[in-house]
Amino acid sequence: MSNVALIARDEVRLMARNRVAVIAFVLLLLLTLVAVASSWAHQRSVAELRARHAQAAESAFDAQPNRHPHRVVHYGTFIFRPLGPLAAFDPGVDAFTGNSMFLKGHRQNSANFGDVRQSSLLVRFGQLTPAFVLQVVAPLLLVFLGFGAIARETELGTLRLLMLQGATRQEVIGGKLLALALVALLAGAPAMLGLLAIAGQPDSLLLPLLVLALGYAGYLALWAVLILLVSTLVRRSRDALLALLALWAIAVVLLPRIAPDVANAAIPLANRLQTDVAIARDLRALGDSHNPDDPHFAAFKQSVLNRYGVATVEDLPVNYKGVLALEGERLTSSLFDRYASKSFAAQSRQNGLVATVGLLSPTIALRSLSMAAAGTDFAGHRRFLEQAEAHRYSLVQRLNRMQADDVSYADDTAVDEGADRRKRVSSANWQAMPDFRFEAPSSAVLAGSALPGMAVVLGWLLVVLILLALAGRRLGVSR
Amino acid sequence: MRLWHFELRLLLRQHLAVVAMGLLALLTSAALIAGLVEVDRQRAAIAAIPAAQAADIGAVADYVDRTKDAGSAAYYSFHPTWDTPAPLAFAALGMRDVSPYILRVRALGLEAQIYDGDTFNPELALPGRFDFAFVLVFVAPLFVIALFHDLVSGEREAGRQRMLDALLNGGRALWQRRTALRLALLWAMLSLPFTVASLFAGVTAGAILIVLALILAYVLFWVGIAALIGRLCWSSVANAATLAAAWLVLVLIIPTLANVAINAAIPVNQGAEIALAQREAVNRAWDIPREETMKRFYARHPEWRDSAPLGHEFHYKWYLAFHQNGDESVAGQVRAYRSGLKARDASARALGWVLPSVGAQVLLTRLARTDLSAQLAYQDRIREFHERLRRFYYAYLFSDRPFGKADFEGAPVFQETSGD
Repeated sequence: MSNVALIARDEVRLMARNRVAVIAFVLLLLLTLVAVASSWAHQRSVAELRARHAQAAESAFDAQPNRHPHRVVHYGTFIFRPLGPLAAFDPGVDAFTGNSMFLKGHRQNSANFGDVRQSSLLVRFGQLTPAFVLQVVAPLLLVFLGFGAIARETELGTLRLLMLQGATRQEVIGGKLLALALVALLAGAPAMLGLLAIAGQPDSLLLPLLVLALGYAGYLALWAVLILLVSTLVRRSRDALLALLALWAIAVVLLPRIAPDVANAAIPLANRLQTDVAIARDLRALGDSHNPDDPHFAAFKQSVLNRYGVATVEDLPVNYKGVLALEGERLTSSLFDRYASKSFAAQSRQNGLVATVGLLSPTIALRSLSMAAAGTDFAGHRRFLEQAEAHRYSLVQRLNRMQADDVSYADDTAVDEGADRRKRVSSANWQAMPDFRFEAPSSAVLAGSALPGMAVVLGWLLVVLILLALAGRRLGVSR
Repeated sequence: MRLWHFELRLLLRQHLAVVAMGLLALLTSAALIAGLVEVDRQRAAIAAIPAAQAADIGAVADYVDRTKDAGSAAYYSFHPTWDTPAPLAFAALGMRDVSPYILRVRALGLEAQIYDGDTFNPELALPGRFDFAFVLVFVAPLFVIALFHDLVSGEREAGRQRMLDALLNGGRALWQRRTALRLALLWAMLSLPFTVASLFAGVTAGAILIVLALILAYVLFWVGIAALIGRLCWSSVANAATLAAAWLVLVLIIPTLANVAINAAIPVNQGAEIALAQREAVNRAWDIPREETMKRFYARHPEWRDSAPLGHEFHYKWYLAFHQNGDESVAGQVRAYRSGLKARDASARALGWVLPSVGAQVLLTRLARTDLSAQLAYQDRIREFHERLRRFYYAYLFSDRPFGKADFEGAPVFQETSGD
């Protein structure tokens, strides 16, 4: 047996004899199991609930009686963001974003009913998920198991003995690293198995799964190397422990909280009131459909009349009110898009700033990697919002088109007793409307968006490995 | 007194202790400043409402003035409501980052409006805010661990414990002195910046004293845990590891487990169900005889029943009446939803009585008026205001009074209940 293997075996034996370490390790495994089970159950019940709500909303839409198309523009539709299977591993921002949205004409509603506003304040302490266990708890366990790996030998003088017996510095460090890496692997394995189970049909999500596995493996390896590095650099095990606890507290607890606050203060977001007021103002500047003398709508009307070669709107072969609704919705939607892009851009800049701080804290980088691969990050939410807006627009414009083609202008402007019935179109039309289907991003897109975080985690791993190699060369030299 | 003085000098000669104290004071100050900046931003956003609102309502008034139709005024006018942060909000931002503190409502169905959120970046909200409550609940215990894990064991490992125990004024008195000194310093590092910030923000003396007592109690709890573990006579290393594990369990694991348990034990009928039911109730009105809607409305609101009967033409009083009918048809679900949220909150508070980390957070967010109760109280104020809005417009609509430009100035203005 090589020296490395011998040293590793000894170190693992020592850990196994340490009762506290074994208890901590078992607790971590239990915690992982609870996290996988509860997170999985939660994801499935949420996914099922949303599917049920979505179906109820769709059948309510289809079951509408004969209605005027503009009624249906206001009746609108409810859509629900489906939750992918990987959200059971890392639900990301899901609890913090609304998951249902009411889509109707002229108006862009917020996504409402996020869990964060429906749960007790405990939700702000963190969510028990496999990702949380691996990001936060597992490194701390490794610290407890590994802080003394070399510092202990230095402190007790046994390092000299080891080296006198012929073990080189590289072998000592290699052996200890091997032991700690083994423990890290064991600590991470249950969560990874849980991930496989969660994914169900892994082939469809193969790339994100691989990225997640590689990312978390790199992260735990990074901690193992960092722990050995600190243990090599300090002379007393107590100092090693305190230094590592401080590093853990800064990287895992402190920086992930400070960075968002900095981003929030540095890059302000326009609130909804200001955005709504600005959109209304811009809309008035573009053209006021309520004002009969408005230049934009006067020109629009003339262009419609010219297109059909008639003199008055009554002579048009289409319902002018529907045509006007089409134009109005086009204008408002273009403004919605413009302001939404502005807000998305500001939020992306905020996240970019947090990612920059992530250069200092691998936990931030790993978190973004993990959410990106699971499709539960801001980009995932944005994808939903953008698809929702596209669906809203196409639905409303179909209905406006229906008003233009299927409801006559004479009926639409009549106010006699029977007018209400004549204005309505058949209920068969509602079933023909396409339902909202969220188009999940492809595996490649998910995996690709995780690459920046991956680069930071692996970059850190490389840096600490180099530092460990440098520190190892001075191991045992008396200071 | 001389002994205290010597203890202090001894403590200040330890690098670890000095660095820890300085760092804690720095983090506390940074968190307080971050909180003050955020609260300032929220106040500025609230202060900016009238200017934005004036232009918006002015344009609506111009349009409505052509027809003098009170219904159009009601339909197109958005009225702002807001929730000014309490003086102590900077210390515990609570839910103020994910719940709206500005919401505009119309006199239409409220249940379709009151759950709307404001714009926020979910990735920034996810890890939680860096505020004073975070520093106290999460970070301060780590400093207790750093300063107390080797209080006795360090002297034992250095071979001085027997000698110290044998000294005059040694033994128990010595450990008590050292504990009190460290405790007082930690307390001061948290309390002094907090007091300065609170005085600056105009927090009442009573609230400041409660928080100062809370800080002492919470730090004392952790010192107590450190002392308990210290009695086991383990090595400094074992003490530190055990204390860090205790921190992990008490601050992170139990609260997250409890969150899962509470949400599973107390199912809340989803808010989305209210929204769906309200929409059905509202839109059904277009497909049933209009008299039915009015009958139902007048039965509940007889004060308007003398209004003229509906003609064939569209009339906004019918429109607003079916919106109100829609709200009233889901009142039961709304109550159930609200009591579900309160039940979840109450369970978390109950946990706070046994788990100091949660208890401190509960107390701080309550004092800061940033917890769920404060959110629900804001919703109540919105409901009360919305009721006034309805009455204001109904008075015009149900008596067919014209609604001119000047009438916009008579519209109800949202008022916050004073002080807290």
